[in-house]
Amino acid sequence: MIQAIKLTKRFKDHVAVDGVTLNIGKGQIFGLLGPNAAGKTTIIRMLCGIIESDEGEARVNGMSVQQAKASFGYVAQHFGLYEELSVWENLTFYARMYNVSDESPLFSLLDRYGLTAFKNQLAGLLSGGYQRRLGLACALTHDPKVLFLDEPTAGIDPVTRKSLWDDFYRLSAEGKTIFVTTHYMEEAQRCHQLAFISSGRIVAEGSPVTIKQALGNALVYIINISYLPELHRALLDTTGIILINQFGNELRLVVTPEVKRADLESAISTITGEPCSLAISKPNLEDVFIALTQENPVKH
Amino acid sequence: MITAIIKKEILQLRRDPRLIGLIVVMPLVLLILFGVALKLEPQNVRMAYVDKDASYFSNLIKTGLWSDGYFDLYEVNDKQQIVREIRSGRAKAGLLIKKDFSSLLTENKQPHITFFVDGTMPSLTTAMKYHSDSATGETVTNDMYFLDADAKGVVIAPDPFIMDTEILFNPDEKETWFFLPGVIGVLIMQIALILTGISVVREREKRTLEQLLVTPMSKTTFILGKLLPYIVIALIDFYFILAAGWVLFDLPQPSSHLLLFLLAIIYVAVMISLGLLISLISRTQQQAMFIAIFIIVPSILLSGFIFPLEAIPDSVRPISYAIPFTYFIDIIRGLLVKHTQFADLIGAYASLLFFVFLFIAASIVTFRKTI
Repeated sequence: MIQAIKLTKRFKDHVAVDGVTLNIGKGQIFGLLGPNAAGKTTIIRMLCGIIESDEGEARVNGMSVQQAKASFGYVAQHFGLYEELSVWENLTFYARMYNVSDESPLFSLLDRYGLTAFKNQLAGLLSGGYQRRLGLACALTHDPKVLFLDEPTAGIDPVTRKSLWDDFYRLSAEGKTIFVTTHYMEEAQRCHQLAFISSGRIVAEGSPVTIKQALGNALVYIINISYLPELHRALLDTTGIILINQFGNELRLVVTPEVKRADLESAISTITGEPCSLAISKPNLEDVFIALTQENPVKH
Repeated sequence: MITAIIKKEILQLRRDPRLIGLIVVMPLVLLILFGVALKLEPQNVRMAYVDKDASYFSNLIKTGLWSDGYFDLYEVNDKQQIVREIRSGRAKAGLLIKKDFSSLLTENKQPHITFFVDGTMPSLTTAMKYHSDSATGETVTNDMYFLDADAKGVVIAPDPFIMDTEILFNPDEKETWFFLPGVIGVLIMQIALILTGISVVREREKRTLEQLLVTPMSKTTFILGKLLPYIVIALIDFYFILAAGWVLFDLPQPSSHLLLFLLAIIYVAVMISLGLLISLISRTQQQAMFIAIFIIVPSILLSGFIFPLEAIPDSVRPISYAIPFTYFIDIIRGLLVKHTQFADLIGAYASLLFFVFLFIAASIVTFRKTI
């Protein structure tokens, strides 16, 4: 349903998107994951036809983007609502922009996103969560086959995020293809397919399960220890450590399989002066994400 | 704390190079332009004359008028045509010398000649009256005294001839008749440019434009959808201001209400489409405001609204003709004060219409369906 073939975009000398190829099937929820400035928004805008690519081609529903405009919806990061218009006025405006004159589906959209009670309220006065719901509703007035959502749950509380995702699954079950950009791991876990992007290039892609294996046979060791700068410095110099990540009183180390557990334990206890026992685990999405996209990756 | 705010404001300004360009370059350009353009001393004011006498003496008068470069004389057939020339705006003044001028002169019978002036622009009228003195000055009249051979001694004769001044249109030289029609145009220009000037940049700043651009709408749909409501609003405003002028200041009625309506709708369309073009080329609302001012100020000063076009040197005159307001001034004074025929205004109407098409076409070309 969505195809990108070697999409490339340059801004002056900076290559924002570098030969990105994607192929997304019907009914999928596809997540484009990447750190800030990795090129996520540029890719989604090229796929929606509001930025022209310098090279490559984008196709939606088997058509060129410009021809496909009536068959997809897009919610930008700032969800483009007219703040001076009411919820209903926003909804009917976007419906008319897509040549939808039948109002009955709009009522079900209001109902679906819990906006019926706010029908006559000005969009600018809605809370952030409801503005997002309205943005989504506005993008669905013409019952599109494909939906592009740029960071649809940024700045949203976990409860609202879950309810939005429940809705994304419903839309996908109805056969709609959904393209989301995000940098939340929790959100990435929920996608059917993922692509990790770093500095404009795809560095890994596949289902969340396959992506977790993107670091090969890397292992994760966990120690209960509070942050210790000397330890961090020492570990940075240790070969085979891919990622060091502190969570409160827990230190998480992603390492190559060559690193021996006993060596690591003794190395750590020399620094801390205490016996050390490492718990073992497997890389999660966040480990993979950070390891693949961090600017100065720790060498394998 | 205050220095922090001051510093932040300056930093923000510096991040908008286009705005700095406008702040620095705009006043400079306008200063130079007005420095060159605003001399306040009209030259080559067109004067239509009829000289039925065509004698040595009538030639003296014409040469006198011609000599200081103020009037630019050309011949027409009869008195009616003088009035027609002034009514159409082709001439600002006229001179009528009758057939018996030299014969009455030689008989010391003090013939009359008539000097016609256009009264629509009181400042120009006053200046023209002042300059008409060169027709009755000594250099002209020296040769016009015919002493009676029988008279005793030297007689200081009264003026050899008398020049009557006839003010055509607005004979009372009412300033309001001159200014108010133009003021309507200035007000509409400001309202229209600012109303539409921000209409697209605001969508850009509020990021609703991005959301609009993904819809299947065409460029023309967007442009026309943006133009039409504002044209209607500005048109209503135009008549509202005009009605206030009629009620409060006794503004004259137009020679034709249909032509006035035609002017209103075309002029409003020019200004609204110009406003839209400004909005399309601006990236922030501030920039749009500055560009609007950049257009409004020279429009007021170089259009013949305050200073007559005759006072603007030839080198700057093309700018006057590139200002839509110039044509509006021409037409509205023609309709309200001079009752000019449509045939004499058709060029100005056509020019305004040309601007409408120019600005809309430029808007469609400028508008990109990308962000």
